[in-house]
Amino acid sequence: MGEIVIFGGDSHPELVKMICDNLAIHSSKVQMGKFSNGETSVSVGESVREKDVYVIQSGCGHVNDTFMELLILISACKTASASRVTAVMPYFCYSRQPDIPYTNKGAPLISRSNEERPEESDNSTSTGLTTRKPGAESPFEESESSIRSDSGESEDSKQSSSFSSAPNSNDIKKSVSFSRIPVIPDGKEAGSTKADAGELFNAQNAGYKLWVAQAGTLIANLLTTAGADHVITMDLHDPQFQGFFDISVDNLYCKPLAQKHIQFGIPNYKEAVIVSPDAGGAKRATSIADSLKLSFALIHKERRSQLLKGPPGATLSSGGTFSTNPKPLVSHLHSEEMHHSNSASKYVQTTMLVGDVRNKVCIIVDDLVDTSYTITRAAKLLKDQGAAKVYALITHGIFSGDALSRIRQSAIDKLIVSNTVPQHETVAYLGKDKVDVMDVSRIFAEAIRRVHNGESISMLFEHGW
Amino acid sequence: MASNSIKLLAPDVHRSLAELVAKRLGLRLTDADLKRDPTGEVSFSIGESVRDQDIYIIMQIGSGVVNDRVLELLIMINACKTASARRITAVIPNFPYARQDRKDKSRAPITAKLMADMLTTAGCDHVITMDLHASQIQGFFDIPVDNLYAEPSVVRYIKENVNWKEAAIISPDAGGAKRAATLADRLDLNFALIHKERARANEVSRMVLVGDVTNKICIIVDDMADTCGTLGKAAEVLLDHGAKSVIAIVTHGVLSGKAIENINNSKLDKVVCTNTVPFEEKMKSCSKLDVVDVSSVLAESIRRLHNGESISYLFKHYPL
Repeated sequence: MGEIVIFGGDSHPELVKMICDNLAIHSSKVQMGKFSNGETSVSVGESVREKDVYVIQSGCGHVNDTFMELLILISACKTASASRVTAVMPYFCYSRQPDIPYTNKGAPLISRSNEERPEESDNSTSTGLTTRKPGAESPFEESESSIRSDSGESEDSKQSSSFSSAPNSNDIKKSVSFSRIPVIPDGKEAGSTKADAGELFNAQNAGYKLWVAQAGTLIANLLTTAGADHVITMDLHDPQFQGFFDISVDNLYCKPLAQKHIQFGIPNYKEAVIVSPDAGGAKRATSIADSLKLSFALIHKERRSQLLKGPPGATLSSGGTFSTNPKPLVSHLHSEEMHHSNSASKYVQTTMLVGDVRNKVCIIVDDLVDTSYTITRAAKLLKDQGAAKVYALITHGIFSGDALSRIRQSAIDKLIVSNTVPQHETVAYLGKDKVDVMDVSRIFAEAIRRVHNGESISMLFEHGW
Repeated sequence: MASNSIKLLAPDVHRSLAELVAKRLGLRLTDADLKRDPTGEVSFSIGESVRDQDIYIIMQIGSGVVNDRVLELLIMINACKTASARRITAVIPNFPYARQDRKDKSRAPITAKLMADMLTTAGCDHVITMDLHASQIQGFFDIPVDNLYAEPSVVRYIKENVNWKEAAIISPDAGGAKRAATLADRLDLNFALIHKERARANEVSRMVLVGDVTNKICIIVDDMADTCGTLGKAAEVLLDHGAKSVIAIVTHGVLSGKAIENINNSKLDKVVCTNTVPFEEKMKSCSKLDVVDVSSVLAESIRRLHNGESISYLFKHYPL
């Protein structure tokens, strides 16, 4: 393997410099720019023939631009005969699942299509029950067609089979009436407000559940296509993401660094409680709690159609009620009965705190904060439950929109965030004493050194650097 | 392919061309939803099943936000692929990064090749484009690429809007000579060429006119107009050589940077672009702009491709 060459993208020049300083080399010359029509131009200033090239570009700033820059730079190095190209992405863009807002309130308002679905309200099938148990006597005893013939099978398979075939309108009608998938009761009554759009969207395409495309595999494949031979990143939102790649991926952990910050930065840390703001991050939080021998608490969010009692020992706190239109969740067969209760029926969002935080220092641990809704709500809940102090420990602080002002107004006493994404603004906005920035450049520098020399990097997972 | 149907998809912005194509085909655009979060990450959902359908994604790529459009396109293609579409065709009239098609200096990226690879990786099965900057780009793909020509539409425009018997066709650079010459042959007109020496990209130093344009209406023909600096200077050269008036017809009116200013200050009578690139807003601020609609060519090629008919008719003829 030839000598090491490091290129830095435009997204995070400061981190590039710090990594290079740690490796005691200079980053090589590369010019990024844009043509007047908005296309990205890249010119590589030094020879890379038979060299071991590392391209550092965090997935921050304007993501699509920085990602294209990275791809073009990798491809340029590859066509310029580099022996190996490694993409170093401290924050890996497009790695998280789209949030709920994408399908809930933010769903598109789409005008109803002109073609009417088969008339389905006032006929005999409306006696059908959505709660029919498998094996129970079919209410369609007298009616013909596919459903009848399938009656030996379980209900679920029946639904799907009648969906997939649906040879005539009669069958469609029935499959719709059996579906638990949201259906709008009637075209005219269907909510035409924006808030209903998502549900309307679903309902229009009865049987088609709205799903959001996952870009993960695509992004992985694009990197491979551009010519990356190796990827180094940190705290991937999904550990499974590694499996999307056909090339080797080193997922570094911020955990050792985070532990150090807890041990040295938080007074009397042995009394602290590690809190995971959602169930998804529980594993990450428990591993920190375990290695520091701290106690652990979990915040669990639940959406039920009515207020339920939490499990014994759990502290319940109502996270505010909000009304949604329940119509779509009700099969149209029941629309008439449900119409009366429509206005009264509400969803209740329940936030449960599992664990004791009274008079304790709480450390909320999360891998990624974008809108900051989750952690600010979590902080409020913790303070409500008597927490003495609330720290937030975050690997990737993207802080888009007014996330920062939300954090400033929130109950979070101190933010500890790594510099995988530039944090100048955060520090400037929140003030130096409210923000602690963890420096990940040493970990990345050491990973690059070890990868270049073909040494093991697993030591970095546990002990940091 | 006969039993499945065409589905047309377009992003939420710059749908004008897609809408024209859909209207022409008598279809509606499939409900789809693109969401961008504040950092620009895109998520995409299709509002109906596309299983076993013949998908056409119509993407107008204008100036300024090329990378956003490219990622959107790739994600849309990939979404359709994972949703079991039978065939996905990307309709990209203005192919992005088409000018980055060669290693013109050491270690320069061949981004057009990267684009081709990325489209294939995302799951694209077919590409329809128009007036590629270099038709060799078709060779970058491992999938079929139909490179349509705007020429029949342009011929029609010239015949309808210009006193074309007194016109001459001008190529603003040596690279476009072939394109201009075919058009000149087609209309049986004189042909002239402007030779220019480029100091740097988007900057022109000296221009030499080859051919006679005295008392002619000069029609400058090019595949792309970016900042329009070249066009403006070419117009001056032509008028200096006795041309009666000068108009420019370009396929892709990217019109970036100071383009509008350059056109307004230039001696060009008119700048005519096809609607491969969205420029409706720019038309408001510049009275010299005019548009040639190519949606019928795209629509017809989509119809033919779907039915497995030959497309080569469209290379020479304007669809009725």
